[in-house]
Amino acid sequence: MGEYISQMRNPRTGWLLLSPTLIILIIFGFMPFLYVLVVGFFDWNVFAAEDGMRFNGLGNYRRLVFDDLFLLSVGLTIRFAVFAIVSEVVFGFLLAQMLTRNFPGKSIFRIIHTFPLMIAPIAVGAIWRLLVIPGFGPVPFVLDRWFDFTYQIGTYPDQALATSVIMDVWHWTPFVTLTMLAGLSAIPREPVEQAKVDGANRLQVFWYVTLPFLRPVLLTTVFIRIMDAIRTVDEVWMLAGGGPGTRFTGIYIWRVTSPGASADWGYGSSISLITLYLTIVLCWLLFIAISGRRKGEVE
Amino acid sequence: MKEKNLTPTPRPPAPIKREGELSSRTRGGFLPFHTNAFDRVFIGVVILIGIHLLWLRFMEPALPIEAATVISLVIGYVVVRKG
Repeated sequence: MGEYISQMRNPRTGWLLLSPTLIILIIFGFMPFLYVLVVGFFDWNVFAAEDGMRFNGLGNYRRLVFDDLFLLSVGLTIRFAVFAIVSEVVFGFLLAQMLTRNFPGKSIFRIIHTFPLMIAPIAVGAIWRLLVIPGFGPVPFVLDRWFDFTYQIGTYPDQALATSVIMDVWHWTPFVTLTMLAGLSAIPREPVEQAKVDGANRLQVFWYVTLPFLRPVLLTTVFIRIMDAIRTVDEVWMLAGGGPGTRFTGIYIWRVTSPGASADWGYGSSISLITLYLTIVLCWLLFIAISGRRKGEVE
Repeated sequence: MKEKNLTPTPRPPAPIKREGELSSRTRGGFLPFHTNAFDRVFIGVVILIGIHLLWLRFMEPALPIEAATVISLVIGYVVVRKG
């Protein structure tokens, strides 16, 4: 037994057990990343007169920072991600709070509210397109007849953005609810009861007891949603086709549809890397904001 | 037959934490949170990329990109050593 324990504590055994995962990660994660990193410094246009790659230094990045459409798409993607994620976290938390209590029809509601998670994003885009397409969908018809409001996502970019955010919230709030529900279920009752005995009101219990316990769950959920929201293509593309015109083109929609970015692999690689950089910076800032231990704080 | 030793191997003693130190690898510097070596190198790389992109956009007509590299390397060194 002792020999077995000492063998299992051997670092070599640990590396041996980790090696399958590490090999898969290196082959499918790290090596493609290195390849994209290298290609980002080359000029490699498949339709160019000359074949092959030519070293371009920082040329692709120089072109990128002056590309107005790219900068517009970055701004739109950040706006979309912020609106969608904040709404999802708020609604997800409220729904999770509701699901911790007992009410008639709770099981049915819990099943129905997770239905959107089972639908593929492209199908979500198609469903919402049928709902909001002018002259056919019920939403523009009802808004026009009842509220005298002109709703045309093909004409007004703000409406396209708002509809995309609502669609994303509809699709992904159940995921946030489920993770929050798991987090809320894991909170011990004693600290909450102790706070109530000490005279804390509901807001104070939430702020000083529930939220600190939920912090790891909240952080993980928001990270997953940031990464998803920044690389959203299919549902938003299906809904509005990146329009009106190019007014609602997220980074990846632009990356996939722009002739310059999709035919020039060097330029496309630099866009992918900048998007990765943006995602990392956003996640890191959020990580610091939510979980960063400040000086003097005890672990 | 040789008798097997049934007592588990004793763990090495835990490192003694100094005051203000969260673990043997994290520390508090001028950054507003505790970091380990990987965090500081990572922050240095993030700053390096950010400075280069901003330089390409706003400063390159006035000063060459090598100046951005020097500045970001200096900042990276300070972050890694003192952060």
